[in-house]
Amino acid sequence: MADFEYLSPEGLRSDGRRPQELRVLSCNISHCLQADGSAYLQQGNTRVIATVYGPHDVSRRSEAQHDKAFINCQFSMATFSTSERKKRPTGDKSCLETSLALKKTFEAAILTDTYPHSKIDIFVQILQSDGSDKAVSINAITMALIDAGIPMKDYVCATSVTLINDTPIVDLNYFEERGPGPELIVGTLPKSGKIVFLQVNSRLHIDNMEKVLKEGMNGNQRVHTILDTLIKKHLEKSILT
Amino acid sequence: MALKGEPHYVAPGDVITANLGFMRGHGTYESDGKLLASVAGVVERVNRLLCVHPLKSKYNGEIGDVVVGRIIEVQQKRWKVETSSRLDSVLNLSSINLPGGVLRRRSAEDEVMIRDYLKEGDLISAEVQQVNSDGSLSLHTRSLKYGKLTEGTLVTVSPSLVKRCKNHFHNLLCGASLILGNNGYIWISPIILDDHQQEQMRFQLPSTPGSSSVKTVTHVATIEERETIARLRNCILALAQSRILLYDTTVQYAYDASLKYEVKE
Amino acid sequence: MLTSKTFVKKTKKGNVLKVVREHYLRDDVHCGVRDCSLCKDCPDGPSLDPSPLTHSTLCQYPHFLLPDTNICLHQIDFLEDPSVHNVILTQVVLQEVRNINPGIHRRLRDIVSNKARKFYVFSNEHHKEAYVERRENEGANDRNDRAIRACCQWYNIHLAKGLETTPPPRVILLTNDRENKRRASAAGIESYTVLEYVQSLTVSSHLLDRLATIADGEDSDKSSTRKKVYFPEHLALSVIQRGLKTGKYLQGAFRGSRENYLEGFVSIPSLEKWVLVQGLENMNRAVHDDVVAVELFPESSWTSPCGIIEADLTSNKEEEETDTAQLPAGKTSDPSLVQPTGKVVGIIKRNWRPYCGTLLPLQDMKGFRHTFVPAERRIPRIRIETRQGPNLLGKRIMVSIDAWSRLARFPSGHFVKELGPIGDRETENEVLLLEHDVPHLPFSPAVLKDLPQTPWVITDEEISKRLDLRHLSICSVDPPGCTDIDDALHYRELDNGNVEVGVHIADVSHFIRPKTALDEEASNRGTTVYLAEKRIDMVPELLSSNLCSLRSGEERLAFSVLWEMSPDDAHIVSTRFVKTVIESKESLTYAEAQMKIDDKSLRDDVTTSLRGLNSLAKILKGRRLEAGALTLASPEIRFEIDSETHDPIDLINKELKETNSLVEEFMLLANVSVAEAIYEAFPDCALLRRHPPPPTSNYDILLKAAKGKGFDLIVDSAKSLADSLEMARIPDNEYFNTLLRIMATRCMMQAVYFCSGSITYKEYHHYGLAAPIYTHFTSPIRRYSDIIVHRLLAVSIDSDVTYPLLLDKHHTQQLSNHLNHRHKMAQYAQRSSVSLHTHLFFKEKDKVEDGFVLLVRRNAIQVIIPAYGIEGSIFFDEHGQSALQYDESLLSLTVSGTKFCLFDKVVVRIAVEKKDLQTSKLALCLVSPVISGSNGVESLKAKKKKHK
Repeated sequence: MADFEYLSPEGLRSDGRRPQELRVLSCNISHCLQADGSAYLQQGNTRVIATVYGPHDVSRRSEAQHDKAFINCQFSMATFSTSERKKRPTGDKSCLETSLALKKTFEAAILTDTYPHSKIDIFVQILQSDGSDKAVSINAITMALIDAGIPMKDYVCATSVTLINDTPIVDLNYFEERGPGPELIVGTLPKSGKIVFLQVNSRLHIDNMEKVLKEGMNGNQRVHTILDTLIKKHLEKSILT
Repeated sequence: MALKGEPHYVAPGDVITANLGFMRGHGTYESDGKLLASVAGVVERVNRLLCVHPLKSKYNGEIGDVVVGRIIEVQQKRWKVETSSRLDSVLNLSSINLPGGVLRRRSAEDEVMIRDYLKEGDLISAEVQQVNSDGSLSLHTRSLKYGKLTEGTLVTVSPSLVKRCKNHFHNLLCGASLILGNNGYIWISPIILDDHQQEQMRFQLPSTPGSSSVKTVTHVATIEERETIARLRNCILALAQSRILLYDTTVQYAYDASLKYEVKE
Repeated sequence: MLTSKTFVKKTKKGNVLKVVREHYLRDDVHCGVRDCSLCKDCPDGPSLDPSPLTHSTLCQYPHFLLPDTNICLHQIDFLEDPSVHNVILTQVVLQEVRNINPGIHRRLRDIVSNKARKFYVFSNEHHKEAYVERRENEGANDRNDRAIRACCQWYNIHLAKGLETTPPPRVILLTNDRENKRRASAAGIESYTVLEYVQSLTVSSHLLDRLATIADGEDSDKSSTRKKVYFPEHLALSVIQRGLKTGKYLQGAFRGSRENYLEGFVSIPSLEKWVLVQGLENMNRAVHDDVVAVELFPESSWTSPCGIIEADLTSNKEEEETDTAQLPAGKTSDPSLVQPTGKVVGIIKRNWRPYCGTLLPLQDMKGFRHTFVPAERRIPRIRIETRQGPNLLGKRIMVSIDAWSRLARFPSGHFVKELGPIGDRETENEVLLLEHDVPHLPFSPAVLKDLPQTPWVITDEEISKRLDLRHLSICSVDPPGCTDIDDALHYRELDNGNVEVGVHIADVSHFIRPKTALDEEASNRGTTVYLAEKRIDMVPELLSSNLCSLRSGEERLAFSVLWEMSPDDAHIVSTRFVKTVIESKESLTYAEAQMKIDDKSLRDDVTTSLRGLNSLAKILKGRRLEAGALTLASPEIRFEIDSETHDPIDLINKELKETNSLVEEFMLLANVSVAEAIYEAFPDCALLRRHPPPPTSNYDILLKAAKGKGFDLIVDSAKSLADSLEMARIPDNEYFNTLLRIMATRCMMQAVYFCSGSITYKEYHHYGLAAPIYTHFTSPIRRYSDIIVHRLLAVSIDSDVTYPLLLDKHHTQQLSNHLNHRHKMAQYAQRSSVSLHTHLFFKEKDKVEDGFVLLVRRNAIQVIIPAYGIEGSIFFDEHGQSALQYDESLLSLTVSGTKFCLFDKVVVRIAVEKKDLQTSKLALCLVSPVISGSNGVESLKAKKKKHK
């Protein structure tokens, strides 16, 4: 087979979406009673579970910071999340890297100075991986943090974008992620448009950067709208009676 | 800005008001001259103070609150108590009533004996004595109401579900006693006979080191009492799930309503 | 937007994996019909007419055509015909076509993008209502057929509801599949075969000829009992795949032999030698360029090419009688000549294209059935059906192959278009351009729009950005008549005793900006093609002959390489790349430049510059040869063309002067310097050129030939080859050395462009030039590769900005492959053009010239005539001549007692031989030595054009 057609001239992607269309996003908030906050979020076939514990006392003295909370983030992929079973679900290099990136992202969004000397634990696990794992993780963590009632500046919304024949396409599935285009993952605070997470896999030319980034931010606005509706519904449903 | 009538739902990043005449309270922050929400919840306004209370949050202690907590660490002259706040609470040796029931000076002997009074894993009820500068709570148990808890069940719910009342200790008609900790920890135990007996029991603390406090419990719950406790626990969880405020009446109603369901294995 | 989704599960081989993919079904897919009240927002605007005209007697109501996959695959010429309008292509059909034949898919896409054609692609696979799910136990093809029928049904209902026209248009399914047709009519869908439909048309009767003759599958099966089976069946693709994995079969590209229609080769990447396939049955319907699977014979039955030159003369009528010819295989005794031998077991991919050629004349041209003779000898004859037989006789026509059944000696095809009369120069040029895939249409208005405005002047702003070198005595040296001057030189002495040498290259990348139509056109053309009497420009003439051409006395923009060199040993002190503005003082020809250098009386700036350059060039050349660069030779001729009639008047062998090498040396130096610079700046995506060393087996013939004359050539390195070639001289035969070099040239590999990130540095080596790294920088007017190199270099010196594709490794490699193809084709086209003109030149002449034996075959000798640089074979007929003795080890052929060895001098007569009305050939006849009986007489090399 020659080059695969990722985007047909009719403007449909291989799974039938239009270039700027997100996958179906659904989220189940507060599903885990043990945790202080939790969310199960799925975008298409990418399913992620995020749990938040805290803020609570630090477990080691060294973690304590006098002016702000310490954030601990752990990203992992379930052994069964990919089509081939993974040997080491946690602790491999890319997982650690992602953990660190997510930690930095949420340090920028959480009002950490509310909780000096405390620690917030964030655990996020990919249950099924079908592309955009990091972006979906970010969205899931946001929901879990909101559920935990941890003060944040804004939602953190993220989408992945790639470029097929000069057309940016957003919210990549696994298949598109593996395609030839460069992948850009951008996480923003949608209200202010501030970027808190940005990752580019493989080379993306600077001329295309703006175009791709813009589409990613637009995607984030759409994610924000969906998440916000979900949260407001959740609030209405669970307000004290 | 709909502050009256319809509840005003906000999520992080939402602008609550651009009017700077308001003071910012919990769950809000200021940016660009605007007041924004930092958590998801309903906007509450008390005079000029605006705050947003999230559905769930860590327990924010206030002086006078009744809390139930668990000893997690024994230190020199004090205990660390887990009370579901964002920092562990402190119970000083000086803040407990010592055996004998009389006020007396703490001696060096007491410091040595500290573990015999309370040790890791023990549950206590206590009152918030003060909120420290770093936000942690100092507790005291210097009332007959407070002290170590034995024989009963702990239920944890979100702190926001527990209504602040005059009294958080209830002896329910159904034959169980309830401590509704402000921190969302709820203790259900067999009914405590009366104040005097309670006092008797409570302060029959071991005279010899090493003997466990459990041994001092004379009362062993009957099967009926256990059933009642279990039923109460489920009622409370059910109420919590439907986000209904917890106080004696709601619990009692829930209990009554549950009676039509048989206990099953 | 999004209504529902289903999951499609797929398993892959190897580890069985379950792949779950989402599949979104939408309700916003437009039906493509204008004025449809039900659909909104069609991305490119609806393309179908609400009430399409009908010319069919079968369906006299307005209708759209909806062809199925096989129609698209086989009747693409029908669909391409401009009279076919209002066609709905479904996504499922396009996908199938794409998987089976990407070439046809591209052609379909081209039709769709032409708005006037009113084709619409209906994305049925993502349409909520038209989507069908594969049922259990349903084959993929059956499901797709059902999906196509579902589309028809949906359209019929949808159009009735959504359009106000009465009667609403219907959809007609075009299918040749009986089962599909039966089911369609059962479901109430009108369906016809293409033939039925086209026959019913009241207009465009010419369409009938364009139809491919595809026998219905069942028909051919039935008749197989009585008809003769010529070929074994091809293996199924799945069987082939399995065989490829186990190594039982090998995959490669089939190369027909030009010399012998009964032989072919399969080039397999993993084998050094090509696999020989002998005999029609073993070739099993493989056509030149097809990707095939071959099965090797056991080593004991390997053989060598038979060395007989043979053309397929089997005509239409003989077909029944002629048995599949068998070759006298395995005659060889020399084990070094034995090649892996095998047979074709299946075709993995057909690479058929439309072929140019002529119809074979018959007594009765009025019949429908004709035989088409392709111009390319490697392509078999094709049977076609046409009613225009008498019209097409004596014309060049184009024909496509449709199929090649086991029951047919020849493939069957259909007529595509007429090119013009045979022998007409325009037609013949067209043929050779088409055959070599050279884009030669005039530049489109969109491309011309990207040209700079005339009159064009260099703005002061532009000058301020550049280094002003207008004061230097820059001159250019080119062949006479050259109008696209892309390089100029200067030389001046510096105060510190060193000299400055500058190579100034036309700054084409200033005019051709990335992403413009002009850029795309240039990139597609890849290179300027020089034919004998005209030039097919890569960029429009305004650029190639004017604005970019560094003509004397004109201010021009240039991209310059400036070296500081020490004058004595040409050591480079420093190199500088800079964008400049220059004014060439003189445009010289090689001869003029040579005269200036030689004329002692001249003392002007340009002349002294040339002398300085000349002495440096000699040092550079010496150094290059020392490093092992090869001096090779190939016969090159030029035509004097009559300016009025454009007929060739005279043939001139290209002469090399010292000044040729002067310019060449500095161009090489510039290329190497630039290659180093861009490789340093872009280690991953620089466009470079490499020349791989040939495998030693390529030299076998050369070694043997030299040995025959008592010389031992050493081929283990370029240096030793160059040295030993230099040694191999025979005093009384000056041409011998040139002959050897010609032969050596033919042993070489092709130099190719590549992207630096794709291979390791060691492989960058340029064998012929003995340079570790090389690229093309100096001819941006005529080579697209140079434009890319200019852009890269410009970026590396910060005088230009990058753009995404420039730094895309993948894209650069694709571009390199494309350019390699264009260059190869351009070369072939050039050669064809030369031979065409040689032919024209000899039309009325009869010349006797000296020639040399270049190659000895089993039944022929190949002769080269240095005076004209032409080559041809002289055949000896086995039946006429009493004895043909071929000695493989000595490479000699003895004909009736006269022995022909390599490099022997012969005298031949060159003349155009007319066999009949249609075909004529350039023929060589042996004059001396005299062979008793009739002289062997045969045609020029295979690819030389027949001429009326």
